[in-house]
Amino acid sequence: MLTHIDIFDPSSYPTRRQEEWKYSDLSRALRVVPPTSDVHRHSETVTVPAGETVTRFDVYDTSAPVVHEDLRFTLGEGASLTRIVILDEAETTVSIRQSIVETAPGSVFRQYVFSTGAHFQRFETHVNHAGHGAQVELHGAYLLKDKRHFDLTTRVNHSDVDGVTQQLIKGLVKDQATAVFQGRILVEKGADGTDARMRHQALILNDGAHIRAKPELEIYADDVQCAHGNTIGALDEEALFFCQSRGIPEDMARAMLTHAFVLPVADQIEDEGLRARVLSFLENASGDFHAL
Amino acid sequence: MLSIKDLTVSVDAKTILKGLTLDVPAGEVHAIMGPNGAGKSTLGYALAGRPNYQIASGTVMFNGEDLMDKDVHERAAAGLYLSFQYPLEIPGVPALTFLRTALNAQRKLRGEAEMSAPDFLKRVREVAKTLKIDMDMLKRPLNVGFSGGEKKRMEVLQMALLEPKFLILDETDSGLDIDALKVVSDGVNALRAPDRGMLVITHYQRLLDHIKPDRVHVLVAGRIVRSGGSELALELEANGYDRYAGEAA
Repeated sequence: MLTHIDIFDPSSYPTRRQEEWKYSDLSRALRVVPPTSDVHRHSETVTVPAGETVTRFDVYDTSAPVVHEDLRFTLGEGASLTRIVILDEAETTVSIRQSIVETAPGSVFRQYVFSTGAHFQRFETHVNHAGHGAQVELHGAYLLKDKRHFDLTTRVNHSDVDGVTQQLIKGLVKDQATAVFQGRILVEKGADGTDARMRHQALILNDGAHIRAKPELEIYADDVQCAHGNTIGALDEEALFFCQSRGIPEDMARAMLTHAFVLPVADQIEDEGLRARVLSFLENASGDFHAL
Repeated sequence: MLSIKDLTVSVDAKTILKGLTLDVPAGEVHAIMGPNGAGKSTLGYALAGRPNYQIASGTVMFNGEDLMDKDVHERAAAGLYLSFQYPLEIPGVPALTFLRTALNAQRKLRGEAEMSAPDFLKRVREVAKTLKIDMDMLKRPLNVGFSGGEKKRMEVLQMALLEPKFLILDETDSGLDIDALKVVSDGVNALRAPDRGMLVITHYQRLLDHIKPDRVHVLVAGRIVRSGGSELALELEANGYDRYAGEAA
């Protein structure tokens, strides 16, 4: 369940004893950066009527010390919503962005989140999957450095038959940064024909950087196809050798493959102009990432 | 040009090549044929300098220089090109970026001037056209989502652009249909030159109908057990490798 948070009421803050907040200590972050009058609060309901197509592109580069966003997306039958988010926040910011997505039969919800983290940053998406041909994609990439923290939490609840969910998350962490990925896909009893695939691939570039990954598939239906893969490690040595064999020195090959690591997530964005903007954000952000 | 003497190579403590000796003069195309597990791919990887391929003994001289002294990228800059049986996908790196990075890295190491972007694009366009490669494909990440045939055509494009002095083709025919095989072989044949050597590694004689070798060597259990002219390939096709198994022991 999505935790209801009132930023001015500390008693509403989740604690680390709650499973979904185990790796992200909001109370502590808000003690360091106490909410004052310049808290940026945003609440919005977005409805995409049946059969319509909407693309939403949000670049968050606010320097507000505390951000709380609370969104609700409702899709009609056969509606399509693509949500692209760039989180380019200050290293002092505490930000919590939560959203609930209600899909409908035959609808398509695609989300792409690109983040460089913040002092504390939580991006949380809860999807109620309507099945019946509905398609949900929850992709993302993160590039974290210094002491930044980024928490990507997604929940997809397949409550009816024939729903598709795809997820590709890629990330790089260095210095003393921390990434948290909590991806949970629940397939309820009777949600047969569900096809759900989750992948999380990340590189830790030095000791001292951390990734907490918790991919979960919880399946109560019989006839489903579900898979999850979670790899955290080093660059692909085969690819590295291939590059070197073409004359690229090892250092340069490592830098090239590190910079390229998260780009495939953006390659899937259909709109060419938006894809170019995202790629340029990622290319700028990845400049000083280099896997040894 | 390439002179291998008594080469012994082990991978993960298992000895694969056991005293292999082979000379390929400039201008010649030699074929290495042999059964599965004979060490054919190991030879290609060892020459290119793949990590974990331990050279236990032997020497490899390339144009008078000791090849084994060099790093992987230095061997490439010296003119060695290994075409992979299964070319790797490089997600996130457009083929054009990859090619230009490789070409200019080699040039830099050789003390040559880097090729400018317009000159590079012009050259790529020319080569891509002969290989029937669409320029749009070159804007996509290298080999990602390419078919087997497209990957092999990309290999030939790289050979043509990088202009290596020596080519090692590892099972270049695998995964190719008849039409793709022709395009790829034509591309390779166009690179035959008096100052360029080639080593063609293959299971089957089929590829050698298209790329005619000057010499054929039979590799069994880590050693060359027989060498001959191109007629040897036909004989192998007819009689198989079994009769050579005894000679390797």
